[in-house]
Formats: sequence, C-alpha cells, structure tokens
Amino acid sequence: MKISPFPLLLLACMTSAVQAADALPDGVQLHGFASQSVIGTDHNNFFGNTQNSVSLGFTELGANISWRINPSVQVSAQALSRRAGNTDNGALRIDYATLDLTAYADETSRYGVYLGKIKNPYGLYNETRDVAFARPSILLPQSIYFDRLRNFALSSPGVGLYAQHNSAFGDLSLQVSAVKPDAGNDESESAFLGRPRAGSIDSKTSYVGRALLERDNGRFKLALTGLQVNANYQPTIGDPLLAGKIGFTSWVISAQYNAENWVLTSEYARGRINDRGFGPFFLNGVRTGSSYYIQGTYMLSPKWSLLNRYDVSYADNSDKSGTGFQSITGLPAYSRFAKDWTAGVTYNASRNWQLRGELHHVDGTFWLPYGDNTHPANTTQNWNMWLLQAAYRF
Amino acid sequence: MNNSVTVLLRCLIVLSLMLIKPAWAVQVITNPDVPVSGVSQNALRAMFAMKLLQWPDGRPVRVFVLPDDNPLHRAFCKEKLELYPYQLRQTWDRLVYSGTGQAPTEVDSETEMLSRVARTPGAIGYVRNSRLNDAVRVLTVE
Repeated sequence: MKISPFPLLLLACMTSAVQAADALPDGVQLHGFASQSVIGTDHNNFFGNTQNSVSLGFTELGANISWRINPSVQVSAQALSRRAGNTDNGALRIDYATLDLTAYADETSRYGVYLGKIKNPYGLYNETRDVAFARPSILLPQSIYFDRLRNFALSSPGVGLYAQHNSAFGDLSLQVSAVKPDAGNDESESAFLGRPRAGSIDSKTSYVGRALLERDNGRFKLALTGLQVNANYQPTIGDPLLAGKIGFTSWVISAQYNAENWVLTSEYARGRINDRGFGPFFLNGVRTGSSYYIQGTYMLSPKWSLLNRYDVSYADNSDKSGTGFQSITGLPAYSRFAKDWTAGVTYNASRNWQLRGELHHVDGTFWLPYGDNTHPANTTQNWNMWLLQAAYRF
Repeated sequence: MNNSVTVLLRCLIVLSLMLIKPAWAVQVITNPDVPVSGVSQNALRAMFAMKLLQWPDGRPVRVFVLPDDNPLHRAFCKEKLELYPYQLRQTWDRLVYSGTGQAPTEVDSETEMLSRVARTPGAIGYVRNSRLNDAVRVLTVE
C-alpha cells in the first residue's frame, strides 16, 4: 500500500491548528475533520478487499480556513484527502475555495453570490457528505448519494446565486449554480459509460439548483433539487466508441421532520441519462432510473442514537429486474438494482469524538464500486456488509 | 394504616418535587454598544443560526454560545429560540464545512460568557437571570 505524505502533512497541520485556534485574528476560523473506518463483507468488495476480510481502506481527512472580512464578504477554502478502496487514492485536493459576496441583507432577507470552486447543492447532505459528524450514518444512502458519482457531484468551479428569506410562513433558501463538473475519472466513466473507457469525458457548463423550505422553526424541511449535466466523450485512436454526447438530468425531492428525540428523512430521485452518438459498440439511448430511501433516527440520549433505513435504486425504470439488460449484455441482471436495509448505532463520546457501527443487508449490486469489483460476473446478488468508524472534528 | 399512607404520600410528593427541573430564567445579553434593546424571535433565531450577520447599524454580530450539552444552552435553545440544540449544530456544521459561513464562538462557562460579551463589540450571548451584571445589557425578545 502506497501512502501519500500529504494526508499526514494535513493531519500535522490540523493538530497544530487546534492549538493555534484560540490565537487567531478576529473573523478567522479553522476547522477540520478526520475519520477512519473498518469494513468487512461476506461477498463483493466495498472500499478495498473486504470479502471475508477486513479493510482499513476508507479514510477521510479535511481542514478548512474561513475569514469573515465583514458581514458581506467571506473567503473560505477546504483541503480534503479521501481514501476509498480503489475508487479514491487519498490524493490531497481543494474541496472548495469560495468567495461569498452578500449583495443585500436585512433582518429577513439575504441575497448574494458564491464564486470559485463551490459546493453543489444537491439533496439534504451533498455539501457536507465527507464530514462524518454531518452525516446520519457511515455511508450515506447510495440511492441518492451515489459514491460513484461523488467526485463529479461534490464541488465544481463555477458561479452560484443564493437568496434567503425568512417569514412567518417559513424560511426559504434558493441556490442556483452554473458549474463545470469534473467527469474525468474512472468511477464517473463507469456510471455513465458502463466501465472506465480509453477516451475521456469532458464536461460542459452544467446547472444545479435547490429550493429549500423550512417550516415551524426548521422542524419540517422540504427541498427540491434539479441538476442538468452536459458532457462530451473524446475517443482515443482505435477507440471502439465514437465521440458521443452525454446528457444527465436529475430531480430530487427531499423531506425531513425533526422532533426532539427522533428524525424522519426521505428523499426520492429520478435521473435520466441520454447517451447518443457513441456508435454501434455501445447501448445508445435514453434511460430513466429512480431511487429513494426512508430513514429514521432515534436519539436515546445526547450521546447515543440508533438508525434504520431502507434504500432502493433502479438503473432503468423500464427494466427494474435487469433481465432485459442481462439478455443484451450478458452482465448480471442484479447489477441494475440495489435494495439496502441498514441498521446503525452512533456514540457521541465527546464534542470532538464520535464512534459508529453499521450493518447493511443488500440485494443487488447497482452501486457497488467498479474499481473494487472489476469482474461483474464474480459478484454476488445478496450480500452483507459491516462497518465501524471513529471520527474526530474540531 | 392511614398514617403510613400519609407518610408514603408525603415522601412521594417530596420526591417528585425534587425531580422537577428548576426553570432556567435565561436572559439574552449584548455588549452595551449594540444599538437595539429588543429583537423579534425570528431575528434572534437568524443570529444564532449565523444567518443574520449584522446589527441594524451595520456593526457585525458576534455570537457566543456554551457547549451543546450545557444545560443552560439547552434551556436557551428551547425557551428563547424554540429549537432543539442538535438543529443548531446541524446548521453550523453545514456552514462551516461547505464554505458558506462560520460557527459561533464557544465559551466554557457563564463567567467567560459574561466577560467575552462585555468586552466584544457587537457581541450577543445568554446567561441566567441571577448572573446579570452592569457590564452587559439585556436584549428583550418580542
């Protein structure tokens, strides 16, 4: 295993940052997070060689600095390193580097713009999906927060306009961004084109927007997200694929109820992929997939909480069982859906430390990472996974 | 027989009185330079959610809080903001880890809260009624 020195450097910076945090100039804040997971499965591999084995292949490290120059201007940047089996190698990258300019603000409204590399608003959890403390579980529901499209969906260079308005009816927040997402990685290629390809995907200007309504002091949240991604495929010489075009449209409806001791959350997504012009050696055409989850969290005490979730994904609504896909491609039918029952427990040991345990019982392999399972025929339809995670933040 | 029932009842009443939590009587306080003496509950909530960042005269709002599990913080969230503490924490986490805002300054005790609010221009915080002093001003919430 090759360990890059950057995450260790980041950790060292984080440690000294904790000590320095009190001595910072006015308006400057430093924060960070770290997590390490242990994963095992009875069949298939998830984030490393986990089948009848144990993997330490899932590590998240991040640190950020923000400077609120005045009430209308903030600059912030976050560095991130993530190891996730064969899908992410821990290389240090800039997660965001954002200039937030508020054009107008009063007691009830705020309007402004985000510039730079910005986080994409998508559903309830996307912007903070790498921070264990900001997630309900070790793994987010893969139906909506498909880790194969993570690098693609997380943050992108672009411009975002935002508007917030508070009234007696509720708090409304809107954000619309025009961005250029990063599609040039193996997992994005696998998600859009079946497996990593010789050529590359070059994204064009894409749009993402979310409207979020919070009623009754945030007890009830309702959100609608829309995403339109456009990309071109650049074949190499001798590539069986031609220079095709990819269009991906996705809509997500999110709802959450926050009670004193429990939270009920559900999100439903519908995504439409339009692959065209790839030539005879590819399944061109339009297909619509759908996914949803329903999740309950129960807080036994401020320290202990339990989670239960049912999470379903279908690659193609017109072929939910995948048998049509199997008869054309010879690949397993069960790679076109996944139904995941999850049970989890969280222990908040202190303000900075958290421990989690989680069990998944999964029927189907739709969101199984390609990088960890390069031979689809060697996968198993019904499989179980357990995870343990320790997380730290400041 | 009657006597022992009375004794038992008395014991139960004393026990249940001991179990009732004392009311916290939380007061919202500001630095004396803050140009307003009262705010709406919506505005107060927006300030502690780190969404309303300036006072009406443009001066930056500086928010001070006690740790999430501090009983006074929990009482303040419920009584003054009508929010659960975990909701505020989620809001701050989202701001801090997405580059769209900052977290409030966390202090360890009411004593530190009083001294930081007293010496920081634009500061807002909270203490128990019994801890009020002349170096800070009470902000009324309508």
